[in-house]
Amino acid sequence: MTDLLSAVYEIFSSESTYLNGALFAAFLAFAATGEWVAERSGTLNISVEGMLLGGAFAAAMGCHLTGSVAVGLLTAILGGVLIAGVQAEMSHRLAADQFVVGLTLNILVFGLTGFLENEIAPETTLAGRWEIPVLSDIPLLGQALFGQRWPFYILYLLLPLSWWLVYRTRWGLELRSVGENPQSADVSGIDVNKRRRQSIYYAGATCGLGGAFLIFGHIGRFEDTIVGGRGFIAIAAVIFGGWTLRGTLAGCVVFAGALSFRLSIQGLGYDVNSELLQALPFVVTIAGMAIFAHRVRAPAALAQPFIRGLK
Amino acid sequence: MSHSELGDAGTGVTNSSPVPAVQLSGIAKRFGAVVACDNVDLALARGRIHGLLGENGAGKSTLMKMLIGLVLPDAGTIAIDGKTESIHDPLTASALGIGMVHQHFSLVDALAVWENVTLGDAGRLDPNATRNRIGEISEQYGLVIDPDKRVGDLTAGLRQRVEIIKCLRRDPSIVIFDEPTSVLTPEESEQLFESLRHVVAAENRAVVLVSHKLDEVLHATDDITIMRQGRVVDQRYSTDADAPTLARAMVGREVSLRSERAALGIHSLDDTDLDDVEPVEPDTVLPATAQPVLRIDRAVAHDADGVVALDEFSLEMHSGEIVGVAGVEGNGQRALGDVLSSLLTLSSGTVAVDGAVVPTGKSGAMAEAGIGVIPEDRHDSGLVLDMTVAENLVLVDQSRAATRGLIDQRRLHAFTEEMIEQFNISCGGPTAPMWSVSGGNQQRVVLARELSQEPKILVAAQPTRGLDVGAIEYMSHRLETAAASGVAVLLISSELEEILELSHRIIVMHSGRIVGEMSRAEANFETLGLLMGGAAA
Repeated sequence: MTDLLSAVYEIFSSESTYLNGALFAAFLAFAATGEWVAERSGTLNISVEGMLLGGAFAAAMGCHLTGSVAVGLLTAILGGVLIAGVQAEMSHRLAADQFVVGLTLNILVFGLTGFLENEIAPETTLAGRWEIPVLSDIPLLGQALFGQRWPFYILYLLLPLSWWLVYRTRWGLELRSVGENPQSADVSGIDVNKRRRQSIYYAGATCGLGGAFLIFGHIGRFEDTIVGGRGFIAIAAVIFGGWTLRGTLAGCVVFAGALSFRLSIQGLGYDVNSELLQALPFVVTIAGMAIFAHRVRAPAALAQPFIRGLK
Repeated sequence: MSHSELGDAGTGVTNSSPVPAVQLSGIAKRFGAVVACDNVDLALARGRIHGLLGENGAGKSTLMKMLIGLVLPDAGTIAIDGKTESIHDPLTASALGIGMVHQHFSLVDALAVWENVTLGDAGRLDPNATRNRIGEISEQYGLVIDPDKRVGDLTAGLRQRVEIIKCLRRDPSIVIFDEPTSVLTPEESEQLFESLRHVVAAENRAVVLVSHKLDEVLHATDDITIMRQGRVVDQRYSTDADAPTLARAMVGREVSLRSERAALGIHSLDDTDLDDVEPVEPDTVLPATAQPVLRIDRAVAHDADGVVALDEFSLEMHSGEIVGVAGVEGNGQRALGDVLSSLLTLSSGTVAVDGAVVPTGKSGAMAEAGIGVIPEDRHDSGLVLDMTVAENLVLVDQSRAATRGLIDQRRLHAFTEEMIEQFNISCGGPTAPMWSVSGGNQQRVVLARELSQEPKILVAAQPTRGLDVGAIEYMSHRLETAAASGVAVLLISSELEEILELSHRIIVMHSGRIVGEMSRAEANFETLGLLMGGAAA
């Protein structure tokens, strides 16, 4: 028992725990922010996993071909948007079931990127580390929040931008109305499925950035297992957060904490069954969902397709 | 049909301006086999309130939806201020100055009042400008509202106020109010009509009031058009109208079910159809037992939006009687059917079968207590179209074909064959998919299933809707023979002819309450029409 307590203490007082936690949380937050926007419009994209993986591969390819991290970021956005495009056009123009489309996309992207990685083996570099003066010297949290590689800091722009778009612009108002009551939005003269497609494109762009962050800000090279189911944890974070941006971020931090704990406890030399540890983040996710998921109110029309004239 | 005091509708209501604000000519719309509007002509003048009166399904809402661009007409033209226009979506209608206050609100509950009001506009989102505009309209028309309240937290009357402000914000010159008082209290309705007068007088707008309530149409309008079965049957000035005339025109006394049958040469059914039951003269069957088989005591129920659907509703039924429930749709009949189908839980009050209280809203409890239901929409809740005839026949009670949870195909087949023969169901055999069977025969499957349960009470909600004359005849006979064999039949129908033909006793529902009860001998179209319209008899 005392062993466990001292292990926990050691983990919480270790700077690397926070550093890893921030990396995991940032990756989840890129994806979860876009998915949050998409879900506010009433869509539920389980293709987040595929968008992240596609974005990561596109980032690697962009860097492989030009040697530039910045170009890699742009190609990553394109990659994410391309996969989002399939999801959006299939499910919100052609009225195919969004879950079937999303599931298929995940499998397709997984297979395709794995194949292309073997064929091409893209070479990538890590982005440079930016130490923000003064702030990066804060004990424990300084390096985690202000001593990361530069793609990390895109998140500091993306979060307020997403919040402003959803809550302060006409586009966001229409987006929310479409997610709450598409019939009313339609009667008010809003193209429901167009708004929904746009929101999925937005999610594709942020997931692309997330994939690029993974390559340039964290891992350094592409593998087809690089995302490893964390796209689904990002979706869980949106639900955990009760469809608010603040809550979604909190969800990312909690789930990233579990991921980081797993790494730290092994790094500090404690002997814990590694399969059990692998499962920890997912156990935390399921527990979080079980406790919080029914306490919050989802957008009223979440995951309900809209067909005009149908009432 | 009958006389029209406004003369030909095309040149009709013209007193303030030579060119009508809106001129609908020859408008037609079909939904599948159903004719919603049939060659409708209608003119709306500026500075006047035009009442559009008719029962549910008369085509008035469809007609207005075509004017607002939510439904496209199959034929006919729409002219705004004399110029023919094609209105293909709500934005076009709005650009032409047409606004509608919707029956089922077009508001988003989760958004604030000001957000709802500005929804659908273009340009930068400006909360303060929107709040100011709301303030202006509030002052001008006496529609006070807090722009920062969440719409979901408002009462029905205030929500409608938001709806009206949203409509007036774009300064429409033509305003349509679709059944505006259906969710309002009498005081709220009174306020609404006051502001309606403002809207018309202040800006010389043309206003349409769509309604099925006789009183409000008489009091609040200048001109009245009455629609029935998709056609305009009468047009007159409100000053020349009275409630009985309107009631007659609305329910259409001229056309009776019996005369239709005679015209089609259907006088009786083949003997094979009903060989197992003796024809019964319904008048000879009268409630005799002292103990009511069904007793609903002060039932109160709310619909999904929290609106009162049943309001202190009490009813007793005896074995062997047919009780007809008349009323304009949406006055609690559906809730009544839902309560007796275990779909709706009562907020207060009780339902008892044979003196034993049955819990409401508990799946299967009503069926177990002996209540059979022919649901209002057989596709929605009566049948599973992708399953076979046999499977549909045992959906409610598998015990006829199953032992310990396993279905015995032979017994299922035998039972189905028996039902097919007994109810003369024309289908491709027990394994035919339900969707391959015609509407009349689908209804026979529902009927066979419910009657084979040997219910004490049978609720028949709109049992003949969408059926042809022969199938209607068959259904009517079956209900009568069921009653003769001791079943208490609750007939919920919007067809007054049907109710007058079959019922021993008739109750009229309005706003979730029984507003009139009479024996068939006392009932006629006029009294029923008046009661249904909410006017005192």
